Amino acid sequence: MTNSEPDNGKSRDELLQRIELMETMIAAGRRSTTRCGWIFVLWGVVDIAGIAWEWSRPSYWIWPTVLTAGFLLFFLIRALKRESSSRCANIEGRTVNAIWSMMGLATTLYVAAGIYRHLAWQYSYIAAIFMLVGLAHAISAMVLRWRVQGMVAGLWWAGGIAMFFAHSDKEIFVIFPLEMFFGMILFGLYAMWLDNRSGLKGERA
Amino acid sequence: MTNSEIDNGSTRDDLVQRVALMETMIAEGRSTTTRFGWVFVMWGLVYFAAVGWVLFLPLAIWAWPVCVSAAIATSIIVGARRKRMHGGSENVRSRSIEAVWRMMGSAICLYVVGAILSHHAGDPAYVAAILFFIGLAHGTSALILRWGVQGVVAAIWWTGGIATFFFTSERESYGIFLGASFFGMILFGLYAMMLERRRAAGPLQSQVQRHA
Repeated sequence: MTNSEPDNGKSRDELLQRIELMETMIAAGRRSTTRCGWIFVLWGVVDIAGIAWEWSRPSYWIWPTVLTAGFLLFFLIRALKRESSSRCANIEGRTVNAIWSMMGLATTLYVAAGIYRHLAWQYSYIAAIFMLVGLAHAISAMVLRWRVQGMVAGLWWAGGIAMFFAHSDKEIFVIFPLEMFFGMILFGLYAMWLDNRSGLKGERA
Repeated sequence: MTNSEIDNGSTRDDLVQRVALMETMIAEGRSTTTRFGWVFVMWGLVYFAAVGWVLFLPLAIWAWPVCVSAAIATSIIVGARRKRMHGGSENVRSRSIEAVWRMMGSAICLYVVGAILSHHAGDPAYVAAILFFIGLAHGTSALILRWGVQGVVAAIWWTGGIATFFFTSERESYGIFLGASFFGMILFGLYAMMLERRRAAGPLQSQVQRHA
């Protein structure tokens, strides 16, 4: 087949152009995730602080306080970085933004309802939170064809299933921080490193 | 500003073309969802059948495994046939929507299997989580496709999820779940099928009008 030969209504050049466009969009989508690496680190640290507090001095008010502080910090840092407009500059970026916005909303509603009704101690409750975060990672990984994020999704889901088989608070105090460290903080740092590297490359170019 | 005037590296025509391309992609993404309207209707009916079996028939322990396995098998077989007939995902949006539903299915399967094996399947948090998973898929799809109706469906599922934290008896949980299934699965599926039928009839009608 020559370059200009039409195949099913599309020439080879046209197909190559389309593939190139899709690759550019996927790369731009990944960039919009790496630019938000700090959010993963922030929530990982906030959640580990919450579980450490819970471990040392259990109280009903720990999670409402910690999560409110997390949201305040999140909005403050985002306002300082002024990145909301550039984050969704392309279709993939907007898709990734949609995935995380909805995950955030769903998790907030779920967590708030569970805390309000004093059902946050159930293993299936904590497992569901892990599965929700894993679901967002998995969708994003599939959209962006990003294996590392796919592994992070697998990690969250594995943590969710492990939570079902936990038999004591002690096990929760082990699984929860591990999940936050590997699935949030490490992934966030990796994303920030990628963002930094692409930023440096851009500057050099 | 004139049509050819350059503003920030792109002309007005460029911008109009970009907007048109995005609108086309959103429309194609929506039509991908409407083409699968039958899946929503089928799953809604499967939920009703499974709950009906649990409440009124013997061997209740087999209700969910049998109904869900049958539904998954039907989805795969019919989906594969339709894919062969109509082709796969056409654009970025369609692929994103496919990713949302596939991953939602995987997450629910893992969660349900984990809960059943560890005997946590009756917890209020468990029922709420399932409603939240389905709502999350609808919410994400709605935001990607800028589709208000699907956003309302997401809100129905999430409202059901919150309600299961407050009405925790088995009967109440089933009632909430069936209500969400009826409005968020069956009715939405029928609406999607109606849109798809209208879309399919569009070119035919214009052909008839042209001949007339």
